[in-house]
Amino acid sequence: MSAKRTILVCCDTGCIASGSKAVVTALKEQLALAAAAGVAGAAATDATVEPLVKQTGCHGFCGYGPVVKVMPDDISYYRVKPKDAAAIIESLGGEPVERLLYRDDAGQRVTGREENPFYSSQKKLALRNVGELDPELLDDALSRGVYESLKKALTMTPEEIISQVERSGIRGRGGAGFPAGRKWRIAAGYNNNPKYVILNGDEGDPGAFMDRSMLEGDPHSVLEGVAICAVAVGATDAYLYIRDEYTTALRTMKQAILDAEAAGILGDSVLGSDKQLRVQVVRGGGAFVCGESSAMIASIEGAVGEPRAKYIRSTQEGLWGQPTVLNNVETFINIPLIIANGGDWYAQTGTDKSKGTKVFALVGKIKRSGLIEVPMGTTLREIIFDIGGGIPGNRRFKAIQTGGPSGGCLPDSLLDVPVDFDTLLEYGSMMGSGGMIVMDERTCMVETARYYVEFLARECCGKCVPCREGLRWLLDILTRICEGEGEFADLEILEGICETMTLASRCALGKTAANPVITTLRYFHDEYEEHITHKRCPAGVCRMGVAP
Amino acid sequence: MTVNLMIDGLACEAAPGQHVLDVARQNGVEIPTLCHHEALAGQACCRLCVVEIEEASGSRDVVVSCTYPAKEGLKVSTNSEQVRRLRRTVLTLLAERAPLAEGALPAYCQEYGVTGYDLRFTVDKDEKCILCGLCTKACAELGNSAIETTLRGVDKQVAPPFDEPPAACIGCASCAEVCPTGAIACEDADGVRTIWEKEFELLRCEACGKPFATAEELAWLKERLLDTELNLAYCPSCRGKMSLKDLT
Repeated sequence: MSAKRTILVCCDTGCIASGSKAVVTALKEQLALAAAAGVAGAAATDATVEPLVKQTGCHGFCGYGPVVKVMPDDISYYRVKPKDAAAIIESLGGEPVERLLYRDDAGQRVTGREENPFYSSQKKLALRNVGELDPELLDDALSRGVYESLKKALTMTPEEIISQVERSGIRGRGGAGFPAGRKWRIAAGYNNNPKYVILNGDEGDPGAFMDRSMLEGDPHSVLEGVAICAVAVGATDAYLYIRDEYTTALRTMKQAILDAEAAGILGDSVLGSDKQLRVQVVRGGGAFVCGESSAMIASIEGAVGEPRAKYIRSTQEGLWGQPTVLNNVETFINIPLIIANGGDWYAQTGTDKSKGTKVFALVGKIKRSGLIEVPMGTTLREIIFDIGGGIPGNRRFKAIQTGGPSGGCLPDSLLDVPVDFDTLLEYGSMMGSGGMIVMDERTCMVETARYYVEFLARECCGKCVPCREGLRWLLDILTRICEGEGEFADLEILEGICETMTLASRCALGKTAANPVITTLRYFHDEYEEHITHKRCPAGVCRMGVAP
Repeated sequence: MTVNLMIDGLACEAAPGQHVLDVARQNGVEIPTLCHHEALAGQACCRLCVVEIEEASGSRDVVVSCTYPAKEGLKVSTNSEQVRRLRRTVLTLLAERAPLAEGALPAYCQEYGVTGYDLRFTVDKDEKCILCGLCTKACAELGNSAIETTLRGVDKQVAPPFDEPPAACIGCASCAEVCPTGAIACEDADGVRTIWEKEFELLRCEACGKPFATAEELAWLKERLLDTELNLAYCPSCRGKMSLKDLT
């Protein structure tokens, strides 16, 4: 077998924490040793072999990191340690290192991703390049076709671009699910320049890392999506608002911008055309609420990140009062695919009203946790049990929390519900940006609701009464129920506050902040009753009647 | 150009862009508000002015009337059962937060039959502030920004920088003036004004002799009046009785 081999080592945050940087060093040392000795396993007998170690973005299977993939053989190794490097180098071109392969549910060792149950039912569109290239190398991105869609877009009229995005049916991946094409069309329709494009990379949901993985793993595809949007709506400036805690993402994106400018892709002339695009990175202000679009705009303007009170869309009056398109990282990263293959092609994937795929951070009490991407309409059961492998330790599934802190908790009776924007809303939860936290029988749902309410009570802007005072009260009441001080009348108060927050709050955060309480009251009412009537926590989490 | 809308069944005319609350008030329909001030519009914090709307397109929503623009064919319901229920919750939340609030809040609580939830929970019984933000907005509009809302979420509060007597404060007491609940302590006694833990000497009107402004306030005013030779030594009430010649 003669082929140039690439060893892709996941160097995203999760795998780095598991020690992947040391694995990279060990692999490089072993390669050098093998080269010096003139042997590198079976592969070294062929003169054309030049193995190359690459640091890539997230491979997704974070629970089993560090992850190493050998291409083009498609051999994936998991939980690799530096001492395994010699065996991996020696095996190149020959038999895989058996003990590092994934053992599937039947106990069989599997080599490729297609045979691994974690990957086999996924569909990677947004994550097409994440984990496959070195995010710091523009050439790597170019070799995988990044910026080809921007080239194509420059030959199209704005109308043609927008109509392809509309035909794709793609809806905003930040949570609300507003059709991206419609948003672009509205902004393109205004003639007052300048116009702005904003990328929302202020991912703040506990346990969520979808946007981070894309920013860190495939920065040029994100930039390409932003640039296509700018060309379509006639914007000359773009701001990438990235959460300040994401130091790697900030560094990667800044470098990608510099590289793209130096290569003439961005800047005064986009790929040699008469279009200009200046892209700047803005470090997030540190508040969860800055992920709300009007709060984000305020934050970029240098004001306190609080949602604005006006009933006006940012497409009409956004950043500095100018027409602005604000989309999430995942929305932008899908755009080049839509331009390359056409809106109709994209619309083949997904459900009637939710097109394409969705990236989720699948975490919690689950065997195979990590970053996944599945077609819209995949059921919760497929995600939790087929991809995630179910609950570890033979415990029972209790609930899945979707949509971040202001999403909802869904019970096992809803496991066969297809995951798309409208269905999740119908059951009281939401898509959000794509967090999925699996909980088993040892999780107390009242305490879970209390946890999210506490998070939101600290992270909301605090400006409007229903949200600020409502959360204060929800927290107070839920804490008392968890401490065994609850009364049945409290449940009525909870419901009244939830209604007011949902209907009368100023922004989307406030309008959804009661969801953890509403859904746990709806699906796990018996747990509230147990806490109140018998002063007992069925999951054994809340400690009641214990003196502090 | 005007737009036509219906408020509680009453046909109303409005200028485009005018807010529903203003249109309602012009037509004699009363909607309760706490954070609304004509000179400092657009706070939209207290959410007490919620109304139900039905757009010309037929879509329905609950919005706050102080910032919702009047539109052609809009139908507004300012006093439905749902609206009253939402207002009762908002008032209850505020009554619990600020039991000592003065002015419109206790009056609205009475009107809506709100007594508070359950005194088991009330923690701080000395609070008057409902965080409407009018004080900080007034201060910012005047160009001083001596006070601001600090922190976020349930910890949000109105405070001077570092909780120290604010250096930028000129003692004009506009914050206390616009406060709907009497939450900002401002005391004038023996020719001295005490506000935000700062003391200001009050100057007396050269005509009537009553203390009326702080020296810092007049200096601030003079700076903004630039070259005009307006005599600032008289109180507003005496100024009103004088001719321009007397004043310059």
